[in-house]
Amino acid sequence: MDKLKDLIFRLCAVPGTPGDEFAAARIAAEELSPYGEVRMDALGNVIAHLGKRGAPVRVMLDAHLDQIGLIVTEVDDAGFLHVARAGGADRRVLPGSPVVIYGREELTGVVCCTPPHLSDGSEDKVPEIEKMTVDAGLSAEEAKRLVQPGDRIALYARPKDLLGRRISCASLDDRAGVASLIRCVQLLADFELRCELTVLCSSREEVGGQGAVTGAYAIDPTQAIAVDVGFAQQPDVAPEKCGKLGGGPMIGLAPALSRGMADRMIALAGRMEMPYQLDVMGNSTGTNCDEIAMTRAGVPTQLLSIPLRYMHTQAEVADLADVENTARLMAEYLKEVE
Amino acid sequence: MADWSLLERLCSARAVSGNEREVRELILNEVKPYADSVEVTPLGSLIVFKKGEKRPGTRLMLNAHMDEVGMIVTYITDDGLLRFSPVGGMDRRVLPGKSVTVGDNVPGVIGVKPVHLLDGEEKEKSVPLKELSIDIGAKDREEAERYVTPGDPVCFDSLFDTSHGMVKSRALDDRAGCAILIEMLRDRLEYDMTFVFAVQEEIGLRGSKTAAYAVDPQAAIVVESTTAADIAGVEKDRQVCCLGEGAAISFMDRHTIYDKEYYRMAFSAAETAGVKCQAKRAVAGGNDAGAIHVSRAGVRTVAVSLPCRYLHSAVGMISQQDYESARRLIPVLAAQIAGETS
Repeated sequence: MDKLKDLIFRLCAVPGTPGDEFAAARIAAEELSPYGEVRMDALGNVIAHLGKRGAPVRVMLDAHLDQIGLIVTEVDDAGFLHVARAGGADRRVLPGSPVVIYGREELTGVVCCTPPHLSDGSEDKVPEIEKMTVDAGLSAEEAKRLVQPGDRIALYARPKDLLGRRISCASLDDRAGVASLIRCVQLLADFELRCELTVLCSSREEVGGQGAVTGAYAIDPTQAIAVDVGFAQQPDVAPEKCGKLGGGPMIGLAPALSRGMADRMIALAGRMEMPYQLDVMGNSTGTNCDEIAMTRAGVPTQLLSIPLRYMHTQAEVADLADVENTARLMAEYLKEVE
Repeated sequence: MADWSLLERLCSARAVSGNEREVRELILNEVKPYADSVEVTPLGSLIVFKKGEKRPGTRLMLNAHMDEVGMIVTYITDDGLLRFSPVGGMDRRVLPGKSVTVGDNVPGVIGVKPVHLLDGEEKEKSVPLKELSIDIGAKDREEAERYVTPGDPVCFDSLFDTSHGMVKSRALDDRAGCAILIEMLRDRLEYDMTFVFAVQEEIGLRGSKTAAYAVDPQAAIVVESTTAADIAGVEKDRQVCCLGEGAAISFMDRHTIYDKEYYRMAFSAAETAGVKCQAKRAVAGGNDAGAIHVSRAGVRTVAVSLPCRYLHSAVGMISQQDYESARRLIPVLAAQIAGETS
């Protein structure tokens, strides 16, 4: 489990906001390269080819590389950075947050918060993102030299070991998923697959899934599994909307997903005596699965979700056992595909 | 040149009001080689006396506080999550999503409901305190209770960066003040002086009140960190003080009307020292002066503060230039006050 944790922390230690996933992509590529032929494509995807070349069944595994963040829209005349969201960052956690700005050099900063003495009673309202600024502590001149519109900002949070097997980190959505793909490939290292296997670490999920759209088109799989994060139980969240931390992979059941694949995974998890949980959604899933299933003439696609608390904040919490079990379930599934 | 590694050591130590031991021990070790006497008061403040070359005309006490704002664990839920109360003037808007340390060394995070599951109104509202809890990864109450008990202090966990002429860190209020006094203690002094490192400023100036009684000074300099609101979207007249303009000198705040002559002396001391200083341009906030100036029969008091942005949040910001200005101004002012015959 320690090796898996180190892998996740390595993946989380580098930035990868939407459209700027290179640093995270490089780590993923390094981890995958001992097991297959790895390339990066035009949109920043990492694609690794494994398994039996030319087999009639071609399985694609997907997890997204990108994390939510901010993007600089303007450097003002006092040196403050005006921003927009890159992905669905939760505005409520931004004020007073330490951040890292990826300009001409890496800079630390703070999301401005109005001091309490200036409060006019409207502090109950979370400011619009257009009203928020990031302070790098730079003079206007320095700020304009070091930071440009389009530069990215990520929330700063050191990867943390919590009690038991739980960990916290800003980009567990979806580096935990990427880690599960890498772990799955590691588990299959000595096994001769009867299918072709392509691993897609995709870009831009948080802004629409463009990486998965183009990656899946290029890979042209006959079936696909995407690993993303799912809501884990926490206070004030209806239990029917989430899984439990440590409760095992959440197997997706939704009209847009492949029920056949889900049934095989449910049966497999039972045979493996592995904990799992069902994650039922009414329509589509809000993950890369929705795009992948629509690729070319259509691809049967299944979703596995790693339970995660506090999604889209810098305080995301996951359980290592869930990541490991997700990897094991996929590996066993792939062994049976022919 | 300022000793940034000293400031980093001070800022990395944790000392939510009422739990100042870690910072106290650190300061004790730093000042011991330079002090003539060191005393710990019953509430935990440090009183450090250092002889100067001459006996003072006015008995002077310099004061900085060791404690920081934070939180305290009040209850452990069945799910193993920690409920908490703020300690000191915490702005609840800066709490959600932050990284914290509970007790001596238990890492945690302040979680919120995922933004995807909020209804429209909730999305626009800063999270009420009662909906926040700390997650240490415990799966239930029993596991949490092995590591945490109600009453344990909770601190922000954050970065420390001294690049580009700033210091960005947790707990600059008032470790920056402590660092300045420690650096002053390392140098020779013209007159005898007493340095107080006070506990419990953030919950009502309790350490300085009792320490001032014990020291019984005739004059006091309070070295603080104060709100700088020179940030985007704040009008000039509401900025209080600005980074880079030197230490801020208070004329009046919510607890104290300051000694007029000392207020003026602070500006002339800055001139003598060849550094900038500025007036704190708002009647807002308060500091240990509030307790010290009414100690016993009254103490003439002046406050010299470092302008600090994002004062009570996970990461504040001061200017290195201001720190240097304050570090040079305070000894000059102290010698002037102590040298006067009262």
